Amino acid sequence: MIRFYEHDQIKKKKCETMGNVNLSRVNEMTPVERAAAMAKGKAIDRLPCNPNVANGVARVYGCKISEFNSDAKTLAAAQIAAYKRFGYDSVRIFTDLFTLCEAMGAKVKFPDDDTADLLEPAIYDVKDIGKLQPASPYKDGRLPVHLDAMKYLIEEVGNEVGCSGAVVGPFTNAFFLLGVDDTLKLITKNPEAVHALCRVSLETCKNFAEAVIHLGLTPTISEPMSSCTVVSPKTFREFSAPYLKELVDFIKSRGKGVIMHICGKTSHIWEDIADMNVSGFSIDNVASLTGCKKAIGNQVRILGNVDPGGIVYCGTPLDVRLKTLEGIAECYDSPKGYTPMSGCSLPVETPFENIQAMMDTVRDVGYPVIPENVAAMINDCKTQINNL
Amino acid sequence: MKSKEEILKELSDCVVDMEDKLVCGVAEEYIQAGYPALDGINEGLVDGMQRTAELYEQEEYFIPELLICSDAMYNGLDVLRPHLLKTESRQEKHKIVIGVVEGDTHDIGKNLVRIMLEAAGYEMHDLGRDVALQSFVDKAKEINANVIAMSTLMSTTMPGMGQVIEMLKAEGIRDKVKVIIGGAPISPAFAQKIGADGYSATAVDAVKLVDKLMRAESEKIGA
Repeated sequence: MIRFYEHDQIKKKKCETMGNVNLSRVNEMTPVERAAAMAKGKAIDRLPCNPNVANGVARVYGCKISEFNSDAKTLAAAQIAAYKRFGYDSVRIFTDLFTLCEAMGAKVKFPDDDTADLLEPAIYDVKDIGKLQPASPYKDGRLPVHLDAMKYLIEEVGNEVGCSGAVVGPFTNAFFLLGVDDTLKLITKNPEAVHALCRVSLETCKNFAEAVIHLGLTPTISEPMSSCTVVSPKTFREFSAPYLKELVDFIKSRGKGVIMHICGKTSHIWEDIADMNVSGFSIDNVASLTGCKKAIGNQVRILGNVDPGGIVYCGTPLDVRLKTLEGIAECYDSPKGYTPMSGCSLPVETPFENIQAMMDTVRDVGYPVIPENVAAMINDCKTQINNL
Repeated sequence: MKSKEEILKELSDCVVDMEDKLVCGVAEEYIQAGYPALDGINEGLVDGMQRTAELYEQEEYFIPELLICSDAMYNGLDVLRPHLLKTESRQEKHKIVIGVVEGDTHDIGKNLVRIMLEAAGYEMHDLGRDVALQSFVDKAKEINANVIAMSTLMSTTMPGMGQVIEMLKAEGIRDKVKVIIGGAPISPAFAQKIGADGYSATAVDAVKLVDKLMRAESEKIGA
């Protein structure tokens, strides 16, 4: 009941703003122009920005999230609608973390209007690891739907904004093949089984990345289980890094750079990630932008890390503005560049005005970033918040 | 024969050292020697789990290690519990309903919280992961729960927590049960926004939070 009510409200909100042209975007460079100028060291109008709207695009477009499971056109159209509305710098086909494991035999639950969940792993017994087969991106699970959506996406907006396709990392996907708890215990009890899972998982990751690249999009890698919030740096180095590096190398060998996201704490593995030569690393709000800049800012672009739940979902536009400004102040001078972003995918029901606030803030800061101006804007924000 | 202290130390060490098989033999030995089961649980197994939690806080241990330590604790509990005196096992405990809200299948953090609360002496009712919101309310009513503990690791599922609180209000039992929440995307600000009674960032803090809430509650009743 509650959900229907919310949905109606959102529909209403959408209608009210439908007719409005997004005035803030007039005379802006397109994301593609901005990225190209930036790569050549030429003048740009503002920092790139990615609020990281995930399944929330359904709220902008006005469809149900379950439509993304079978309807490639709707999945692409919703991404495009959200991009057009906010003008952020990257669009990505991503719905949930379970597309690759599903294509390898795991069962996934599809709520009517919410993000998909893992229902059952592909296998229950270590003995069955040998039965797992790498997925085919063109016939297994929802992968064909995602690839079709990528095709529509790049045809429609590929000339103006960077289009990417999400690839779940090999270590993370391995956990969904045999179940998260059991696989976690195998790290200590049966290391060879974990390696075997990661190897077959990696083959699927590579197959899918290849298909994404074939369509002209850039793969991104999501590797949440590699987080130091879950496993030790030692475990990461032994069980995740070898496969992750092979995936990164594979993508790079096809002429694409890759942006990686790992949730949670990551400071102990920053150097490992940077040494894989990823082009960008996106960090969670529990990690420090300043620390990350100092550690690996001379090797990779840093993206992050406004708290998606506490600030962008729960806060006011002013809160979002403050945190976006603070991120810019911390990281604008990172040698390989900085992209203001949320620390993870935004909740589905994140208020549109908060997403808009992140974009508007980056537009207000402009380029080149003048730290004194940002400091003044931060003070102004704090004063306004205190006066509430 | 080994002294009680020696075997208690061995029980505790089994948990810390991830000896989930060996612990059963040590627990048997402890009972055979005629020492009281309750002390074996509290000063052996639970002590081990508390030391494990400290190693986790110090980033010596991570989730994979913690899970096996907790297996060791539970295996030891299976041996010792049947030997508890009737009065000990019938002790009235505070009841806690715990689960991961609908839409999220991450339950590592929730499991840790359950383990730590169980080790601290609470009666846990674990609904598992991806729990329908109504189930939290139904279970709390059924067992007369003192606390509902909800977690999520995905920001996409956070709104469900607020809905549970609304449901409790609609059922007229909001003042009978404390609601605590946790999980990576959750913040004190969010807890406040949805009107939860508390938030904790770690499993260890969750125990302190529940202890505090239950103490406050019993003082209120006492007064």
